[in-house]
Amino acid sequence: MAVSGLTARKVRTLLIMLGPVLGVAAIVAAIGINESSKGHLKAKLQELGTDLIVVNASAGFGFGQDPVIESAAVGRVSRLPDVVAVTGTRQMSDIVTVPFAGAEDYYRAFPVPVIATGLDLPSTLEVPLVSGRFLNEFDESSGARVAVIGRDLADEYGYLRGESRTIELNGLQYGVVGVLDYVLLEPSMDSAVFLTFATAMDDWGLDEPDPSRLYVRAPVNTRLVAQEIPTVVSLGGPDGANASVPTDLLDAQSQVDENLNNLTKMMGGLALIVGGVGIANVMSISVIQRSSEIGIRRALGHSRSTIAIQFLFEALVVGVLGGIAGAGVGAGVVWGVAEQRGYTMVLSVVGLAGWALVSVGVAVVAGLYPSTKAARLEPLETLRLG
Amino acid sequence: MNPVGPDGADEVVLSLEGVSRIYGEEVQVSALDGVSMEIRAGEFVSIVGPSGSGKSTMLGLLGILDLPTHGVIRVRGVDVSELSDAERSSLRGDAIGFVFQQFHLIPHLTALGNVETALLYRGLSSRQRRGRAMEALEQVGLGARHDHRPVQLSGGEQQRVAIARAITTQPGVVLADEPTGALDSQNAENVLEIFHDLQTSERAICIVTHDLHVADSARRKISMLDGHIVSDEQLVRS
Repeated sequence: MAVSGLTARKVRTLLIMLGPVLGVAAIVAAIGINESSKGHLKAKLQELGTDLIVVNASAGFGFGQDPVIESAAVGRVSRLPDVVAVTGTRQMSDIVTVPFAGAEDYYRAFPVPVIATGLDLPSTLEVPLVSGRFLNEFDESSGARVAVIGRDLADEYGYLRGESRTIELNGLQYGVVGVLDYVLLEPSMDSAVFLTFATAMDDWGLDEPDPSRLYVRAPVNTRLVAQEIPTVVSLGGPDGANASVPTDLLDAQSQVDENLNNLTKMMGGLALIVGGVGIANVMSISVIQRSSEIGIRRALGHSRSTIAIQFLFEALVVGVLGGIAGAGVGAGVVWGVAEQRGYTMVLSVVGLAGWALVSVGVAVVAGLYPSTKAARLEPLETLRLG
Repeated sequence: MNPVGPDGADEVVLSLEGVSRIYGEEVQVSALDGVSMEIRAGEFVSIVGPSGSGKSTMLGLLGILDLPTHGVIRVRGVDVSELSDAERSSLRGDAIGFVFQQFHLIPHLTALGNVETALLYRGLSSRQRRGRAMEALEQVGLGARHDHRPVQLSGGEQQRVAIARAITTQPGVVLADEPTGALDSQNAENVLEIFHDLQTSERAICIVTHDLHVADSARRKISMLDGHIVSDEQLVRS
């Protein structure tokens, strides 16, 4: 009986429900998508580790040559408290890498990075090998022409797991001893060739085994260590270094998402308010249209408060149904986006219920004016006695 | 529920004591001026008068849809000016039934639903409401059409639904405002007959009309002019 006023005008009821539905859906979707993507980022951060510092050599006074970090400086960094692992790398230039002789024409156009590296790169980066082994002490001391390749390069060359195979660097044959798994923080490594510093010096004219980049693992006080490193490297001298924590970038990314998220929430809130105004508007018109019904109910003994409660109840029903539908639509959008982007869907049930309740609140507040108006109608004026 | 005393027929259901109703603040129009009257249980009263004579105002006051500017209105002996809106509404629902010229049925409810509206908020179960509403519909001969909506009913039938709605609460008095005014003569006659059938020693009927035929079918006729009662006569029924 109490909702007969709503069911009698289904289209109108659906239309006034649209406001709360859209508002709640927008807010729920904004929060849900943000939470899910943040969950995704967090998982990624977890995977990468937030304790890896990347140190790049920066140019001092030595113009005309690539900036490097001296071995002595590498030693100083590794002796810092809280530092558990340090690996230096240096990217070599002007080396054409091909999978087999005669493929130069094709592969010259796609230069492959060749990186001279310390032996503990996999443990410092916490990246396992897909197959084979990494470069070891024997390779270093013997100057053996062996290489480890990145996973993408292995795929590109059609390298089979455990296959004994060589690759050609400017015509020199190197035996492939292992394949490094994907390096999420340095995707360029996925298509790189790794050599020992010994072979880099023997074959490619490197004077000193000085890296140009350090990977430093410091599980505690990561940022503090990152701040110290430039000074430790330069000791106040001209050869500098920049240290950064790459996962900070991801953190920053999640902050950007937060701003966007707040904007969407505000839009959703606005939609809710507009929806509320819509409810107030349509219900006010409804009160005028139903004035004779109100009059007759008053004549039949319904008090002013009964009339007010009846209209308020209709607003409440609109709010509840709109809130539930909005939460459902919002959850559906979050599910769709999470599905499409490969996130794990993060959606708080308490949040859903909370925003549905906000919709109920908005609807009830919006219903206050029309219901008061309905309660104040004078039955004599609406019944038009003859 | 019904104010039936030992001398049932003499029980005063409604009374006006020196009642005036003045509309407007700056320009004051006196619609009713110092009127006193009583309606007793079992009476069949008609109130007649030309437009502007104050009969509609009187009906609004008798039905306590309105309050007097001066004077006292008593329903079952209770001074209504001392009641809150909720109490007055409840008293109105219990003691008075209304029938209007324009029927005023709620369009989206069935005949039964319309009659049930009068029984809402009275602590009745929906089964009890349905039973009593059905009983009232049968009393006006519309039991078979209880599930029809107002648009599916003729004018006469709609007015009978309205009458069923007015009597389902078993009020002490039914106030009717031009109940035959919107009906053709045949339907008007039927409706008038129903009113006569409804009148019992416990229930008074009060019809406001300008149709002299309707007025003369009553047992007591009150004539009004310019806010005053000009005559109040008992009619001898032929």
